[in-house]
This record gives sequence, structure tokens and C-alpha cells, in this order.
Amino acid sequence: MPIYIARKLAFFILAVIAASIAIFLLIRGAGGNVAAVVLGKDATAEAINALAQQYGLDRPMVVQYFDWIGKLLQGDLGRSFRTNESVADLVVSRLSISIPLCVSGLVLGLLIAIPAGTYSALYSDRPLGALVALLSQVGIAVPVFWAGILLSLLFGVRLGWLPTGGWTNWDASFWGAVRSLVLPVISLGLILGASLTRYVRSAVLDVMNQDYVRTARATGMTQMQALLQVGLRNAALPIATVVGLQIAELIGGTVIIETVFSLPGLSRMILANVAAREVIVVQSTVMLIIIFVMLINLIVDLLYGVLDPRVRLAR
Amino acid sequence: MLTNSKSFRLGLATLTAAAAILAAMTGAMAASPRADEGKMILVARQDPGTLDYTKSNLTALRLWIPANVVEPLVYFNHDGSVSPGVAESWTISDDKLTYTFVIREAKFSNGEPVTVEDVIYSLNTMRESPVSQNSSAYQAVSSIEKVDDRTVRITLSRPSQNFWRGMGSTAGLIQPEAAAGTIATNPIGTGPYKLVSYTSNSALEFTANENYWGEAPAIKDVTVRIITDGTAGLNALEAGEVDTIPVITIDLWEQLIARGLDKSFTMVTYPQIGEPTYAVINQKLDPELRQALATTLDRQAYNDAFGASWGAENTCTFALPNQPWYEPASPESCPYPYDIEKAMALVAEKGYASIPLEYASLSDVPDLSLPADIMVPTMQAAGFNVTRNAIDLARYSQLIFQGRPPQFDVTVMSGDADPAQWACPDESQASWSTYCSVDYTQALADADEALTDEDYLALMKKAADILRKDAVIVPIIAKKGVGLFEPDLKGFLEPRVAVAIEFAPLHW
Repeated sequence: MPIYIARKLAFFILAVIAASIAIFLLIRGAGGNVAAVVLGKDATAEAINALAQQYGLDRPMVVQYFDWIGKLLQGDLGRSFRTNESVADLVVSRLSISIPLCVSGLVLGLLIAIPAGTYSALYSDRPLGALVALLSQVGIAVPVFWAGILLSLLFGVRLGWLPTGGWTNWDASFWGAVRSLVLPVISLGLILGASLTRYVRSAVLDVMNQDYVRTARATGMTQMQALLQVGLRNAALPIATVVGLQIAELIGGTVIIETVFSLPGLSRMILANVAAREVIVVQSTVMLIIIFVMLINLIVDLLYGVLDPRVRLAR
Repeated sequence: MLTNSKSFRLGLATLTAAAAILAAMTGAMAASPRADEGKMILVARQDPGTLDYTKSNLTALRLWIPANVVEPLVYFNHDGSVSPGVAESWTISDDKLTYTFVIREAKFSNGEPVTVEDVIYSLNTMRESPVSQNSSAYQAVSSIEKVDDRTVRITLSRPSQNFWRGMGSTAGLIQPEAAAGTIATNPIGTGPYKLVSYTSNSALEFTANENYWGEAPAIKDVTVRIITDGTAGLNALEAGEVDTIPVITIDLWEQLIARGLDKSFTMVTYPQIGEPTYAVINQKLDPELRQALATTLDRQAYNDAFGASWGAENTCTFALPNQPWYEPASPESCPYPYDIEKAMALVAEKGYASIPLEYASLSDVPDLSLPADIMVPTMQAAGFNVTRNAIDLARYSQLIFQGRPPQFDVTVMSGDADPAQWACPDESQASWSTYCSVDYTQALADADEALTDEDYLALMKKAADILRKDAVIVPIIAKKGVGLFEPDLKGFLEPRVAVAIEFAPLHW
């Protein structure tokens, strides 16, 4: 096990270095610079170059990379060119929206997916089981923004029960903040629930066809008892993988939900800063996400070893 | 889960029908719950990113900060009169070379007194501003000096209309020198409001400035909510969560009519917030080729495509209807009107089909990417060998500024109606359009030096004529500003300081 962990950690460090170079080059490869964005369409080349110089964007790329990465290693994420705000402060303020949104959406998705997926797998030959499978297919096909806007129209515009969008800070009103998140979380949870239901169903169907489950059934266990006692741990492996990937995708990938509901979350911050070519804000924020995603993957990998001893022995 | 703009737009179009049905089910609107609380919520469609108006020229910033938070030296009113701003009085010498401003005894919103030093600092900052609209007002300025503790004298090397008008616009905004370091997030001024907070992509919060020198505004607390998604903005308005969307963009016009919002809310149209939409044709192309391309620009088709004849006028003049040299499209004012048959004949006669042309479609700005759907097929139908290249604004700017001949032959843009942006003393100083004309630049310079308003107008008309005949900057439509207001929210005034929406005159 220690060799397995050491190997995984080494891979993690190499992947982070590669990712830092990739994100640095990608944002610059997109072309344009923040000075041109700040000054607008009618600025002169001279003015843009002067402002770019003030921002230090005229320095060689290698110098800019090591300057950024050196500060990053010391915990300094840098500052926004346009407002001089600390990137760390920006990220923290946005995470106070994105984390509750993503975690609640994922929890809601799992609360829908685990019972629905299990039921449709165990009772796939019954009409209700087939209906659950059908609904999950429909849910996967529904675009998240469409679901969001319809929920907003129904519960916000028509019924007036919840805000159609916008954000109330936690410190301004706790319940206001919760109300701001209800519709986005439902939109996210429904869509996630639909796709996760498919994975849960597939994983449960797989294990229910295994010999050890059949053997368990032969001892007199019901389907449910067999699933809970011998099947669940095996079914959890692919589900854990998918959930890990979903968390990774959610942290930076809720841009549509945040846009539809006007939430100033991390995804919208990244998108806006890519458009504005705020290279330091984008690089540092995306690096944090990459590190977070890799950590999740590392944990999932290590979890494999715990859930299935054959995995760590094989490696 | 990244945004796919095409499917997004398709989805929004589908939603229009659903929204219309749901809207029809909504009952009569109640008055805003904020009316009794002395509050108001407005919607902004764009996040400014920075509030530093000395460095940024973004409309998203200029809508809210000037006039509300930071005031200019003077205000130019719509009746042609000039009102005091930070300057309580002024004198102009007969030769129009010396301007003397007496600064009012007032305080900034941070409680610090306005000093002559602050005024001189502010004017010098704008003189050095990288934003050309700010710095161009100072081209004729030779000195800015303190006369006494309340008086500033500005001396010009020649008469300048741009200078005097600039003192009532963003070029004349006055800030305290001591607070300049935080201008990007917390600009300070003498206006009727002060900024409480700015959270990017979320909101700007304002409250009445207790140190304001004038009458206290009727509405004490103002929130500008940043809702970038247009449908979400209309939903918020319809649900009564916000009180006005003072600037409606072209991509929302069809939806707001389908939902009947133009009937349930007060709709105002005003040219100040508008922008001319125009084609930029590469000046390096042969003049006859440029003229042939210009005849493929179907203004009416573009206008019709958005069903918004009330929001835009066809024009061949680079101006907005509030500028006195503006002219709507007519046989007299359009040297190259839409004429597809003439274009086809020219293509065949001159062999233009063999010349590959590139149309740059700005993908991240709906107003500017949509015209390509109309313009490119028309050019191709005329026989031009045009390919469409989608590109975002930042990348476009970089390519334009690389110092090589522009690789785009046609682009449709919209922006400020400032004709001075095309002034170009020599090719090394050409702006992003690459347009450079000695005659045009001279006509603008002559207009700037005009001693009377009549001379100024005549010379600006002459400049506009040169511009339209050169077929490089080819105006298509003049978009007006369109706003939707909660019916009980009264008092809207057309902007006086550039495009700024003034909160103070609004009341319940």
C-alpha cells in the first residue's frame, strides 16, 4: 500500500506541473490581452501597449510563468489587473456560492439517483421500473438551462414563491441566500439525478448478475438483502468514480446554471475573466480547480484500494 | 457543461413561446414593494469588471458611475444650456482660449473637501488617460493652473469645441487625488450617490451621498443587479424583483414583445445610450471594391430581422439622432445604398469573385455576430468570394494591433458615436479600423476650432460626408437606447454625461 500511495502522489505532482504549463499557454494562446479589453474597441495601439506594459504583460513568457508559479508556491495567487483585488479573496467569495450550490445539487442528485437507479435495476421488468429508466433518459436529454429557465418562470414569475435569480449574501440574510440557491440546486439536482440514475442502474444490474449474488440468493436472501449484503460494495466502485468525476466537473462547470440564475459563482467568474483576458485570475483559479480535481481523483484511486483489495495488490 | 451559444440561443427562442404563455397567465401587476422603502433595483446586462473610468471606456461602467457618483465640472443640458457641476461658475474668454472655473465649496462622498488640487489632478489624469475620448478633449490644452484656492484656469493653444464639451462629459469628471488608488473598486466623487459595494458579476449598491451639495435624491438606496442572461433579466422584471431594465439589447427585443412587456411596463427610447452599427471595410482594398461591398449591406433587412423598427433607424451617417449632423438614410445621404444587382454587375465586370475576402464575425457580442447571418449570404449572392470567420473581441483586438495590414476585409461593429475616433493624422496613428484620411481629419480639426455652433455643425456635416463617401466606415443603423420601467417609477431623464443613467431624478 505505501508504494501504491507514493506512486500516486508522484503522478499527482507531475500532473500538476504539466497542468500549470498547459493552462499558462492555453490562456495566452487564446490571444488578446486585458489592456485591450479594459480600453475598449476604440483604443489606440499605443495606449494598449502602454497599459500592457504597466501590467507586466510585455515581459518574456518564461519570466511571466516563473513569476506566477513562484508566487503560487508561496500561497500568493496574485491580483486582478483591472481592480487590484486579491485572487484568493475573489475565489473565497465565489466559493461561498459555488460550494453550497454544487454540494447541494450533487446530494439532491444522489438522493434521486440511488433509490431510483436501484429500483429500476431491481424491478426492471415492472412498468414502474421501466418508467424510472425512461424518465432518467428524458432527464439526461433536457438541457440544464432550459430546466432552469422553466423553473424560474414557474416558481419565480408565475407563482412568485422564489426569486427568479440573483444572489443575497450569506451575511446579509442567511435565508435570503438559501432562497437564492433553491431553484439553481433543484435544476442542477434534477439533471444530475437523471444522469446518475443511469449509472446506478447499470452498476446494480451488473452486480445482480454476478455469481456471488446468485449464490447469496440461493441461501435464501431476498434481492434486496443480497444487494445490501454482498452486492452494494461492488456496485459502489463505478458509482464512486462517476461521482468523483461529477464533483470535478461541477466546481468549474456550473456556468450555465450560474448565468441563468445570475449567481456570481466561481464558474461565471472564470468565464468573465477569460473573456477579459485576466490571465492571472484565470491561471490561479483554474490551477486551484485542477489541484482540487486531481486530489479528488487521488482520493477515488485510494478509495478503490480500500473498496477492492485486488486493486492495490494488482498494482 | 460549457455554454454552447448556438444551442443557448435556440433554446431561448423556444422559451419565448413558453414565456409568452406564462406571462399571459400572470395577473395585474402590483406596485413595486420597494416604492415605500425608498429603494430601487435596476438591471445591468454587463459586468464592468473595473470601475476605473480613467482607464476603461466600457459602457457597462459609464452607465452607472458618472453623474451618479462622480460629477463633471459642468453639465450640458438637452435644451443647450449648461448647468454647474463641480464648478459653480465659469468664464470663457472672447477668443475661446481661456476657461476659468470657480470650484464649489463641496465635499466628496468620503467627507473630504473638494480642493483645486483635486480638480487639477483629475483633469491632468484625464489628459493622460489611455482612453482616447478622455484625452482627446485636452489636445488643445496648453496649461492647467491654480489661480487661488477656489479657481482653476485652463489655457488653450487654439479654440476647441471638444475641450468645452469634454468638461461636461467623462473627460471632466472630478475625483479626490487621495482616493485614486481604490478607484477601480470604489470611485469617489461629489455626486448625489456614493458607491456602497461592487461585487463583480453580481451587483453595484449605491446609497444617497449625505455630503451631496444639491438636493437629496428621492430614492435613497439603489441596487444595480448584474443579470447577463437577457431572459433571466426579463423574468426578474416580470416577477417584480427589479424595477427597470434601462438598457435593452437588440437580442431581447423580439422576446419582450412576445411576452407583452412593452405593454405592461413603461417603455422609453432615447438615442444617448444608442450606438451606431457600422461595417468596417478594409481600407487597403481597392476603393471601387469597397464601394461594391457597401452596396450589399441591406440596412432594412438587418433592421427587420430584429422586428424593432422602433428601436433603430437606417442611416448612412456615422452619428446618433441626438447629434445635430445626423441624417436618416435617404438617396441624398447614402452614396452607396443597398443594390444587389449593381453589386452583381460590378463583381462580374471587375472580376471581384477571384479575390478572397474574409468577414470577421465577433462571436461574443450578439449584436455583432447576428448581422453576419444577413450580410455574408448577401455578399456571396452578389458573387463575392467571402468566408466568415468567427472570432472573439479580445482576439480581434490583438490581431488588429499587431501592426500588420488587417487580415479582415469586412467586420460589423457597433460603438460610441464619437466621430473623432476616426481622426488619423498619419497612418502610424490609425485606430483599430485602420481608417486614415487627411481630409476627414482636417474637417474634424476645423470643426473643433469653430467659434460658433453654426460653424461647428456645418463642419461636422462636411466631415460626416467625407467619411460616408470613403466606404471604409459604412454606417448601417443607429440603435436607440430602449428601457423598460415599472409604471410607477417616474422621472427618467435622458443622459447628460455621456451615456450615464442618472438615478437622482427618478422617483416613485
